[in-house]
Amino acid sequence: MRASHVLVGILVTASLIFAAVGAAMNDTFYLRLATEALIYAGLALSVDILLGYTGLLSLGQALFFGMGAYLSALVLMIVPSFWAAFAATAIVSAIAGLVGGFIVNRVRGAYFALITFGMAQIAAKVVYNTRALGASDGLIGVPVININLGIASISSASPAAFFIFVLSLIVIFYVLSAYLLDTPFGRLLIALRANENRVQFLGYRTMTARLAAYVIAAMIAALSGALYPMLRGFVSPELLFFATSGNAVITVVTGGAGTLVGALYGSLLLTLLKSVVGSYTEHHLIVIGLLFMGAVVFLPRGLMGVVRPAIERMLARETKP
Amino acid sequence: MSGAVEYFQYVLAPQMLIGLVLGIAVILVALGLTIIFGLLDVINMSHGEFYALGAFIAVALGTIGLPFWLLLIFVPLVMLPIGYIVERGLIQRVFHTSERHVTTLLLTFGLGLVLEDTFGLVFGPNPYKPDIPIAGGVEAFGIFLPSYRLFLIVIGGAIIAAVAFMVYRTRLGAMVRAAAYDRHMAASLGVPVQHVYAGAFAFGVALAGLAGVLLAPIYSVFPTMGRDFILIAFTVVIVGGMGSIAGVVVAGLVLTQVQAIVSLYISPVWSDPIVFGIMVAMLMVRPQGLFGRLGHG
Repeated sequence: MRASHVLVGILVTASLIFAAVGAAMNDTFYLRLATEALIYAGLALSVDILLGYTGLLSLGQALFFGMGAYLSALVLMIVPSFWAAFAATAIVSAIAGLVGGFIVNRVRGAYFALITFGMAQIAAKVVYNTRALGASDGLIGVPVININLGIASISSASPAAFFIFVLSLIVIFYVLSAYLLDTPFGRLLIALRANENRVQFLGYRTMTARLAAYVIAAMIAALSGALYPMLRGFVSPELLFFATSGNAVITVVTGGAGTLVGALYGSLLLTLLKSVVGSYTEHHLIVIGLLFMGAVVFLPRGLMGVVRPAIERMLARETKP
Repeated sequence: MSGAVEYFQYVLAPQMLIGLVLGIAVILVALGLTIIFGLLDVINMSHGEFYALGAFIAVALGTIGLPFWLLLIFVPLVMLPIGYIVERGLIQRVFHTSERHVTTLLLTFGLGLVLEDTFGLVFGPNPYKPDIPIAGGVEAFGIFLPSYRLFLIVIGGAIIAAVAFMVYRTRLGAMVRAAAYDRHMAASLGVPVQHVYAGAFAFGVALAGLAGVLLAPIYSVFPTMGRDFILIAFTVVIVGGMGSIAGVVVAGLVLTQVQAIVSLYISPVWSDPIVFGIMVAMLMVRPQGLFGRLGHG
């Protein structure tokens, strides 16, 4: 885990430099793109908690991401307050995660993947066909908000400030998940992935642990989604589609499942790749798909599986006298 | 009384016939999916793209003048080696890891993305609509049905019967079922398990390709055609029981009838959520599906 923290430190430093340069050059486009990459990193983080630690492949995490985005947009259109949107999303996603968790945790393995997929698909179709939620157009006209942090106030319209704000939130999500996975509860989750039957023989309630992991992942996904309308000013049903869930899975597997930091680097890498390859051809999915297949076959721990051992060796050398 | 007869004749029966055509189509795609799952334990996320691949090969060969009837035989024959290579070259690479379900699912998901984008690159985003090979229609008891759809029902039924016969009544099918039941025992009795695996995958993929050729004239051909279709195929496989051939036939017919009849009473856009709802409910209550697995009884 310590090597992951070092990698997050590098990421934060690089991001702050990026934000400073971007602000100095009066850039909007790249700062906004990087903010979006961070928001998707939050979604990927939630997938990694399930896939990399508990061993549950969710093909429907967009359900919570999209729910957070729609809820936040609806709240902001009534009360333009960040904290109201954030609190509403946290509460509703916790309840939804609990209800969803009871449904999906009845099954394991491939069936888990398919049931999460089916649930997200239902939600996407329902939103897509509901006039009150803007149907296929989504909700537009989410107002610009000022985020009141007590000592300072950040406007969601300022690219650099909002980028740093999203960065800090995602880092907080990372720190909280990393801490949680290091506690006895986290060990239980990792044990679930290794052998669920034995965990039961040791006297633990596996249902509670799986449910808790699912609810935490749901909340992180929803709270990341809640940032989306603040950035873009609209939400669309695409946020709930399978492509969103699928992208998060690609991000995690390419970045490195079971590392948490892999989700962050993976998301930045994929966004970069999409905009670079996308400037030459619209068929960037071929490149991303091949990269992803290569990661599945050759790099079971993703990019971080290559990078992290080097950092671990460096750390080990420092601690030795 | 005559009102009810007229309602059946002009409203219910045509709708049910449309549902039956869709049902046959879905069963053809789902058959390959269920055989691959029953034998290899692999959820083939790229199955929809193989369905599209069959349709695109048919379109490409159709433009150079090959007749439809030849394509019906030729396309599955082309798909067989493709499927065989994919199984040996890709799936076997991650087949022996501890989390086989997840890794094979991810790998085939990636393959599906690459295939779908490749179709877009080669053929462009616009749909192709091949000519309907049999023109005209048939009228019986006052119900009109286009000839090609009638042909589809007949040939689809024949293909399903042939597959069931192959799996349950031939020596080859016995090998497949033996390998599905206990691969080590089957191997020690002389079944070439590796080839049976690759062969079954190729067979499933070829069935999807054949479905692509058959359905292209009705549903037209475009890069994402597999995506919409595979959802209902997955639902059918889950409800019927993963790896069960009888299950696919029963669930395929029932679910498409539900979809068709429901569309009469509420807006058709809600038929998809209802079908997915059935899938989620089935996974909750009886994840093994209506029928048992391939090779298990």
